[in-house]
Amino acid sequence: MKKRHPHKNKVLLVNITRLGDMLQATPTIAGIKRENPDCHTTVLVEKQFADICHVLPNIDRVVSIDLNYTCRSLAAEQSGIIDAYKYVSELVDGLQEESFDYCLNMSSSAYTALLLKLLNIPKTGGWTADEEGYRVIESDWARLFATSVHYQNRQYNSLNLVDVFRCSADVEDHPHKLQVNILPEAKRYAEDLIRSAGFTNFGPLIAVQAGASQAKRQWSPALFVEMVKILDREYNARIILTGSPKEISIVQPILDGCNSPNVFSAVGKTSIPQLAALLKECQVLVTGDTGPMHISVAAGTPVVAMFLASAYGFETGPYSEGNIVLQPVIGCGPCNPNKSCSRPDCHDTISPRLMADLTMARVAGEVTSISREQADPRSVMVYRSVFDQYGFCDLKPINSSDGDSFARYRDAYRKLWLNDLGGYEVHGDVGSRKRLSRSSLAMADEGVDGLREIADCAQRGQELMRQLKEQILDTRAPGSILQRTNLEIVKLDRDIEELGYHYEPIGALAKMFMFAKENLAGSDPLSLASQMDSVYHNLGRWCQKFGHFYRES
Amino acid sequence: MRQDWDRRVEHDYRFWIANEISSQSLIWEEGERDFSQIISGINLTNRDVALEIGCGVGRMLPAANEIFRSVIGVDVSPRAISKAKELCESLNQDSLQIDLINTTGSDLQGVPSKSIDLVWSFAALPHMPTRIFAAYLTEIKRVLRETGVARLQVFVGQQDNPAESDTLRMRAYTESAIKKAVTLAGLKLTAITQVSMPLQELLEELYLQPVLITLEPDQAGSKDLDEIVAVLLPQGAEPEEADISCTEFEAWIALHYADRLYQDGEYDRAKSALEYVAQHCRAAEVDVREALKKLSQLAAERQVSAHMAETQGKTEIYDANCEVLKRRFPEIFNQLSAELATQNLQVEVKASVEGPVLWVGQTCLDHPEKPVLAGDTWAKRARNDSRLAKCPHIVVVGFAAGYHLESLVNNGTQVISCVETSLEVLRKALEVRDLRPLLEKLASLTISENGLPDNLEPDAEIIVRPQNLVIAGEAAQTISRNFNSRRGSANLRPKIAVLGPLHGGTLPIGHYTTSALNKLGKAVRGLDMSGFNGGFEMINSLTKNDIRQQVCRQTYVEMVSSILLESFTEKPIDILICMAQAPISGRALSELRRKGVITVLWFVEDYLRFTYWKDYAKYFDYVFTIQKGECIDAIRKAGAANVHYLPTACDPVIHAPVSLTPEERARWGSPISFVGAGYHNRRQTFASLAHLPFKIWGTEWPACKPFDRLIQEAGRRLTPEEYIKIFNSTDINLNLHSSNERDGVDPTGDFINPRTFELAACGVFQLVDERSLLAEVFEAGKEVATFSTVAELKDKISYYMEHPEEREIIARAGRARALKDHTYEKRLEQMLEIIYGASYQQLRQRASENPWVEMIRKAEFDPELRERCERAFARGDEPQLDGLVADIALGQGQLTETEQKLLFLFHVRKQIIRMEHEGAGVRN
Repeated sequence: MKKRHPHKNKVLLVNITRLGDMLQATPTIAGIKRENPDCHTTVLVEKQFADICHVLPNIDRVVSIDLNYTCRSLAAEQSGIIDAYKYVSELVDGLQEESFDYCLNMSSSAYTALLLKLLNIPKTGGWTADEEGYRVIESDWARLFATSVHYQNRQYNSLNLVDVFRCSADVEDHPHKLQVNILPEAKRYAEDLIRSAGFTNFGPLIAVQAGASQAKRQWSPALFVEMVKILDREYNARIILTGSPKEISIVQPILDGCNSPNVFSAVGKTSIPQLAALLKECQVLVTGDTGPMHISVAAGTPVVAMFLASAYGFETGPYSEGNIVLQPVIGCGPCNPNKSCSRPDCHDTISPRLMADLTMARVAGEVTSISREQADPRSVMVYRSVFDQYGFCDLKPINSSDGDSFARYRDAYRKLWLNDLGGYEVHGDVGSRKRLSRSSLAMADEGVDGLREIADCAQRGQELMRQLKEQILDTRAPGSILQRTNLEIVKLDRDIEELGYHYEPIGALAKMFMFAKENLAGSDPLSLASQMDSVYHNLGRWCQKFGHFYRES
Repeated sequence: MRQDWDRRVEHDYRFWIANEISSQSLIWEEGERDFSQIISGINLTNRDVALEIGCGVGRMLPAANEIFRSVIGVDVSPRAISKAKELCESLNQDSLQIDLINTTGSDLQGVPSKSIDLVWSFAALPHMPTRIFAAYLTEIKRVLRETGVARLQVFVGQQDNPAESDTLRMRAYTESAIKKAVTLAGLKLTAITQVSMPLQELLEELYLQPVLITLEPDQAGSKDLDEIVAVLLPQGAEPEEADISCTEFEAWIALHYADRLYQDGEYDRAKSALEYVAQHCRAAEVDVREALKKLSQLAAERQVSAHMAETQGKTEIYDANCEVLKRRFPEIFNQLSAELATQNLQVEVKASVEGPVLWVGQTCLDHPEKPVLAGDTWAKRARNDSRLAKCPHIVVVGFAAGYHLESLVNNGTQVISCVETSLEVLRKALEVRDLRPLLEKLASLTISENGLPDNLEPDAEIIVRPQNLVIAGEAAQTISRNFNSRRGSANLRPKIAVLGPLHGGTLPIGHYTTSALNKLGKAVRGLDMSGFNGGFEMINSLTKNDIRQQVCRQTYVEMVSSILLESFTEKPIDILICMAQAPISGRALSELRRKGVITVLWFVEDYLRFTYWKDYAKYFDYVFTIQKGECIDAIRKAGAANVHYLPTACDPVIHAPVSLTPEERARWGSPISFVGAGYHNRRQTFASLAHLPFKIWGTEWPACKPFDRLIQEAGRRLTPEEYIKIFNSTDINLNLHSSNERDGVDPTGDFINPRTFELAACGVFQLVDERSLLAEVFEAGKEVATFSTVAELKDKISYYMEHPEEREIIARAGRARALKDHTYEKRLEQMLEIIYGASYQQLRQRASENPWVEMIRKAEFDPELRERCERAFARGDEPQLDGLVADIALGQGQLTETEQKLLFLFHVRKQIIRMEHEGAGVRN
């Protein structure tokens, strides 16, 4: 694997957003430790998630930032602004004193980028800010992350974001799963809790996480009721409902609807460590794309997970082998995570019967295929989580891939990035740093709209860079010539961007190009021209490889 | 209390209760005057029953009975009550409904609960022990109706707690203590207003500020008197040890009363006063012979001291003082040597126990008996005053004999300067006292009626000796005002709002005012209310009845006022400048004043023609007029606190020479033009010019002959840009001030219209009618051309048509004068100087309450952050994060660490708000 900063001594991981993100960082942290056994790891997290960090392995120190306090102070305005500023100053001073030599920012927000700039750590991965306050994405993998989650490009991506982050941190050797420590006292608590449930069935213990971070990602309670009834009555299962205290209102209708002694609510009764222990006692967790899903994976309990609405299984799917992922096939999905939905039709593509049967199949063992009758691939794709030969998580369809129009693109992109960014020799590798040739493009062109055009642009870009360098070096060249060339460059870049919007399959290529362009460093014209030349060259190379891999897949 | 006041009333009620006023009729007059202060400014919903606590001999009761149906006076002294009955009956007014009740002196027993509309007290409560005051507060709460009001005279100042038995000394409380106490008693403090009282100078010397507190019933209060007493006396309820006892103090006062009566030839009354002293002192075991002996000694010493001053060679002391004076303050020395006097004052030197004191007429500039002690006391109170305690430099107005200055310079680390308005006072002081040490230590000494030391820091403070207010009040106040003006201009950044009218000629003046304030670097919001005019005009079409229309207009203005109040709540202001006819109600103005906003009216209209000021003026702290004399008097009488002359002006950006194309000249130009509305005198005058090449522009002109050929563009309203073009393309601009009553030129016309200044600033020639105030602003014949009759107008038109070069000279001179003296910037500078001069403390207090002040203090730990806060404060930005990050431009060079942190906070807030709006499913 290609690495920018292989050696790390004192590491800071900035992961301020959500519980799930913390868990998803565990393979990266474990990998850093494996590859740098003596390094010290510190995580910076939002205060409410600080506790969970204490049950995550390989973390030496947890520093929390109280965003609630910061925001409350800011909301009070006036003196509250000074209080918030002081709080941030003290935090920054404390972190500066640690003299970290490497920082990975796993958040893409503007404020975390500024935080990294404030900390002035010499080597960084992920988002940071430059001297003038602009957000900068230094690493290719971090740019790939930003590219992949762009709404237009999501369905063309098959790389799990855990892997993308991992690669941002130059981690190759990793445990192939999320991790959490199960504390003895938590285990005892979980056992007692299960005992207290008073089940009358003796079948498998199934955990059900009904709540999700957004309403549109929550399967309706009525559907859960149906599924649970099937598990209870047909499969003799014991069902434990999990969730945080604020999800009681979501779970209560399920309890009421089932009205069974074999449906027990543990909602609001467990801390995160206790939840981990509880899930470990279970055989399967039925869930949406949620934090408990990741906890379950970390605890070693497989999941049967629905990726509804904006959730996308390839992106944030369960990071271990052998989980079941259901992805509705619907024109509007996966949808924009920032928008609500008044009619989540995607929920209806997954039947309670299917969920119940898949759950029990998983209890019985690995599920490697199901019939089209059980799960029509025109309505829902069912996948099994696997790791490829390079250690990257993937989803393998187990009902059929016929209905998946994006599969071929995903495959091509996957190979492109593993090869070009990761340095892996993938099947059909065309080699690196070859100048584009017409014949290559002709080969690459087949089936990918817009690819030729964007490749042409890349080539034109390189020609322009050649011109530009000559003009820069020619001290007699009037300014108007440079200006004209600059205008051409601006137009060319705009064309590339618009091609990316116009032809969806090449959108990711255009986006990666734009990110690279936005992150040029320095102000020396010749240096910039050289960097830009590389950027165009990369684009051309990606076009070539992508076309090739697409043809081969 | 009862015994003391019985005794005093029996001895001489006029001295002890009515401030020595000689005649009963004068007592009633004083009572009426004082009662008018009591009810001034309060909204009396019900005028059924009023009650006075401590009514004494009832001097205010008849005046109150003229307003209220019935009046109750309560007093602890049965003698006072009996006297009051006698005096009220002597008025022989059957209609009087006055009940007099002798109470316990600490409650209102016998007065039913919730039965009183007004409770008041004047010059009584401060003499009562604190516990009694507290008890009365709870009783006031009990007896007041829900809509009732209480107005109580108290003293605000450093907390004073004489012994319980002392019923003569005046108790003072801090403002915050009073606020807390009334709240505990279940009352709401709605206003604290100054009040004038007898012996004002003495009170000020004692650092006692008499005020009226206005109270209304609020929530249920505490019945625990100890709690109320504790907040009134936070330093503890233990009485202070006084230098002399109450008995001795009373005896001392009576002795001096006796002495004065003796000097005035009132021997019987003097003897009665001495007998009073003897009786009272015998009862209190004070040796009256000792007191009489003191009296004699005082008289003798005065003579001896005076003799000593004359015979012991004042020259020696004077010369010694002058040696130091010459070295330290050579200009003053030169003035003294040249025997220049700034005032024609007769300054007398008299002896006192502690040294010579200076007198000017009946006013002692020091203390007649104990100038050293009094000087020390005064200096101590001055240093303890919160305003002066922390300032580095104190300027004292008033040198007197220097005792107070010596105390200041010798005790404390502050720099002390002195301004004395009279050279004669200084001379006398130098003659009779060795002031060399003082002269060495004073930072500066100035003799002036309006000057100030040059080296004043922005946070220096000024204090005027009350005696100087008496002998040279105007000069002292001028100095004080100038001082406040100067430092206000340097220090203060008040938030100013300019409220324009709905429509009319004053509308652009509002804009010019806002623009001028902006150019002066002030934090100003211009409120153009013309958007509301449409609705206002619609009233005329929706209702036809006059009264109904009036009610509708009032309601409309109230609605607009409510919106303004909300706006000012969101974005607080310190000063509101209302242009004439600004749509804001008295209620709203009162509300703003209650919140401490200074309200200003720039009344740019003829006060005789527009008379709404009569009801309106009282809502303004400052009124600026374009007329003098009777106008100012009338508006003051209508209740405005400060009224000043301030004419309109020009805006050099708008009112300027412009170049015009030939087409524009053809359209707008003419040999003779007039721009303005068709008032009577203009119609009548300009009709006689119809044969001339003359264009008239503006509204309200008749369509008949001869105007049909004169009026341009159908008599529509013009924009400022258009009339500037007209001015600039006209050879002779006529400027006839409007009158709806007079023909032609109004011989009594005074104010100068805005057009006069605007024409001058445009650098164009104008012929303007003579006005009494014109000479103050422009030189006739040199800077403007004038006429006083229609005949003269015609002559001058003919003349100046033939003399373009003279027109040019006059126009140029007029423009130079306008730009030098008559811009809106100059006017607003003047306006603000006046406001700062009188309201500096109020504005400073508000500035100190500005949230930025606390933020700046808190930001001490980060100098760059602090500086950023200071800049935002100076700009008048709201104390919000946006104000702190607004000027951090990305991509403009390296960000400092402070800027990065502020941007961090900015983005955190943005992110959280976004997440709250869009749910938690946001990855980026």
